[in-house]
Amino acid sequence: MPAYTLQTNGAVCPFPLIDAKNAMQQLNTGDDLIIGFDCTQATDSLPQWAAEDGHEVVAFDRTGDAGWSITVRKGA
Amino acid sequence: MILTGLLLGAVLGYVLQRSRFCVTGAFRDLYMARSARYFIPFLLAIAIQAIGVAALTGAGVIAPEAASFAPLAVIGGGLLFGVGIIMAGGCATGTYYRAGEGLIGSWVALIFYALFAAVMKYGPLGGFTEAARARTVGATTIQETLGVSVWVPTILFSALVAALVVRQVRKNAGKKAVRLPARRTGIGHYLADVAWNPWVGGVLLGLIAIAAWVLSTASGRNGGLGITTPSAKIVTFLTTGDVTLVDWSVMLVLGILLGSFIAAKLSGEFRWRVPDSATILRSAGGGVAMGVGAALAGGCTIGNSLVETSLFSYQGWVSFAAIMLGTWGAAWFFLMRPQKAAAQNRPAPVLSPAG
Repeated sequence: MPAYTLQTNGAVCPFPLIDAKNAMQQLNTGDDLIIGFDCTQATDSLPQWAAEDGHEVVAFDRTGDAGWSITVRKGA
Repeated sequence: MILTGLLLGAVLGYVLQRSRFCVTGAFRDLYMARSARYFIPFLLAIAIQAIGVAALTGAGVIAPEAASFAPLAVIGGGLLFGVGIIMAGGCATGTYYRAGEGLIGSWVALIFYALFAAVMKYGPLGGFTEAARARTVGATTIQETLGVSVWVPTILFSALVAALVVRQVRKNAGKKAVRLPARRTGIGHYLADVAWNPWVGGVLLGLIAIAAWVLSTASGRNGGLGITTPSAKIVTFLTTGDVTLVDWSVMLVLGILLGSFIAAKLSGEFRWRVPDSATILRSAGGGVAMGVGAALAGGCTIGNSLVETSLFSYQGWVSFAAIMLGTWGAAWFFLMRPQKAAAQNRPAPVLSPAG
């Protein structure tokens, strides 16, 4: 299944979440969206959004100081 | 003893950073995401503080004086402040703690906020602010109008918040969000690794607000948590050298920067982060609106929406509503409207196949 990356570094909240939602709309069920971000609050809002909208979080980890990456698989 | 301000500010900054507590987000998401995940914990903080303040006032430990109500200044200032915090991406405390995390955009917002609060309070527009805030009506607090004890609104509000908390806890149940892998074990895991949930943030914020009343009163300043006046005082002190301006509240806001920096550094969440020029400009504009708005309204999301509300003053609750409406209007204008336009005109965010 295809995977796509969305780099949001430098964007402050709520923009990483807004962009992630937008990007997700272009994907098909089962596609992976790999979101890179450096807004601390998004460590809360992105996994929360995935849980609420029924997407699976395949990976979620730090990429360095104040940098994170989350891979969200689009749910049905 | 103004140094207790630095200490309590540091605790506040630490708590806000670890719990990602953002009043702007709490107000904004109530409208944009129909989510009360941070809004109800914020109400809980008000209720906890209201109970503590009423008890301590009854015991004679503190003697809070609610602000006189100047409707036009409070409504106009509150709306402007609400718009400003959406543009700046955080309220006054939010901007302080994000500055401590290394966000350059927050430093820009913070500098313009403090500068314009000083312009409005101690500078050329001081007369205007004073005149606007002097147009008061007789009523000051809800309990005064009703002719009842402060415990009546305190208990009624606390009961309402308790019901809302139960509802929100039920709503949150079953929606478990994925967490980052642990990097520390033992106590370090809780202190500087795992993010604290909004309930922890709200409860601690309420307790810190109570402690602020006690410690500030002991230092000779009759007041609770406050952000705008000390920010204006810092600017005025730095430009005039008037040391009498440096009080407990100045220490408090400096403490927030320090505490948030320590929390972020220990948790691997500190890094200087430079935004694009559009974000810098928006942050600067937001800072100006925040400084002017908070000076007119007599407080920010802390001074009014958290502290004056716990005294059940009209200034507190009217400004709470005005700030919230301001954030909703600005969220529509700056966040939702461009989204809708973008969906029609602009190509969606750039995606590239991975690997």
